[in-house]
Amino acid sequence: MKILNTPIKMMAVFNSNGNIQPIKFRLEDKVVTVEKVLKVYEEKIVGNKRLVFVCMHNEKDIYELKFEIDSKIWYLFKK
Amino acid sequence: MSNIIMHIDVNSAFLSWTAAYEKQIGIERDIRQVPAVIGGNEENRHGIVLAKSMPAKKFNIQTGESLMEARQKCPNLLVIPPNYRLYVRASKALREYLNTFTPDVEAFSIDECFIKFTDLNKSQSLKLAHKIKENVHEYFGYTVNIGISTNKLLAKMAGDFEKPDKCHTCFPEEIKDKMWPLPVEDLFMVGRRTKSKLNKLGIYTIRDLANADHKLISALLKSHGRLIYAYANGLDASTFKSPSPIKSVGNSSTLKFDVEDYETAHAIILSLVEMTSWRLREAKMMCKVVSISIKDKDFGYISRQYKLPYFTDCTKDIYINICRIFDKHWDKRPIRQLGVSVSDLEEAKFQQMSIFKDRNTLNNEKLDKVIDSIREKYGDTAIVRGVFANSELSPLLGGYPDDEYIGMSSIL
Repeated sequence: MKILNTPIKMMAVFNSNGNIQPIKFRLEDKVVTVEKVLKVYEEKIVGNKRLVFVCMHNEKDIYELKFEIDSKIWYLFKK
Repeated sequence: MSNIIMHIDVNSAFLSWTAAYEKQIGIERDIRQVPAVIGGNEENRHGIVLAKSMPAKKFNIQTGESLMEARQKCPNLLVIPPNYRLYVRASKALREYLNTFTPDVEAFSIDECFIKFTDLNKSQSLKLAHKIKENVHEYFGYTVNIGISTNKLLAKMAGDFEKPDKCHTCFPEEIKDKMWPLPVEDLFMVGRRTKSKLNKLGIYTIRDLANADHKLISALLKSHGRLIYAYANGLDASTFKSPSPIKSVGNSSTLKFDVEDYETAHAIILSLVEMTSWRLREAKMMCKVVSISIKDKDFGYISRQYKLPYFTDCTKDIYINICRIFDKHWDKRPIRQLGVSVSDLEEAKFQQMSIFKDRNTLNNEKLDKVIDSIREKYGDTAIVRGVFANSELSPLLGGYPDDEYIGMSSIL
């Protein structure tokens, strides 16, 4: 796994119960569909809140998406 | 069960916060593991060490010394610029977290705060302190020191015993063993100059001070002497302050070059007053006392204040009065840093008419309002005073980049 922390263009569903569900995002002209979210948690390192989505691709590859609350930017954190 | 007070102090705050943030955004170096410092901008002569990492400490780098000195001690020192927005956010998040334990959270500075409990015994408090320390590390990614005692002074002393990432107690019965053996300059409020005065009296440790003759200390050091004498005995009557309305507004700046003439100095004072009076009006307050501080190029420092016979929030009024004190007290040594501040504040709801005011004051107050609204709408430098046109000087000077920044205080 490599740490990237690149901002990405994301399509996500903001459910009426407050849950956020990433659907698909663009990475170097390629559209990647989020297949499965394994775990969601909030990190607040030095007070900077980010929602962390641990996701799985092709049933084996784990990667992390992060949604920064203050800036409202999505990041592909690890892949 | 008496009150339990804890003092929470972030270990090398600016550096730890920067390090944790860098880790969060995926930068793979850890500045805590290499000789690194947070330092200001050297070109603007703000180049001092604001915080240092543990490996940098091994090179005997001190907080507050210039980056040049620090580089001489450690040639491949990593210098990282400060990020005040990050620090304000981190500080706020920490206080919000502490608020989940007790409503009594008092911010003492940006990286220190006191919390108070009324229903804990000593062993419970130590357990809780360890829990808080671990949780802060887990949630926020940095370490803190926690000092536990029954008043603020002892809690703060305890927090400084051994760093980093430790919890210490210093209850009144432990003063003799834990606090008294320390050198006297480790006592809160004993600085370099008090230290040398005390050393002349043969007072080298806190024990010496605590057992010294109260009359002697009182006669020599006046009220400050009585204060540190009480502190040496672990006595501190300060209460918990709830977030209070502001007591003073001030602004200072280290200048890009040494100032040697009145004209430039007055222009700089004006730029500082512009910012200060603006903030004063934003807070809907008026002031009665204006003061100036001057630091010369050899770091000699004076500060003088003047009490006006009326309340004011008018830029020009404050500016003229500060210039008057400045002209009276400046010894013409090249100036490195200038600061202005206003205090004795009153809410600007009502105003006593005064016969001492300049007849133009009313017009100037109207002018201030217009300038404020133009600045609010079109930006800080949309309208500036004529003296700053075609000059190198900045029309507004000083101020932390964020109003929520908590300055330093020496009052417990």
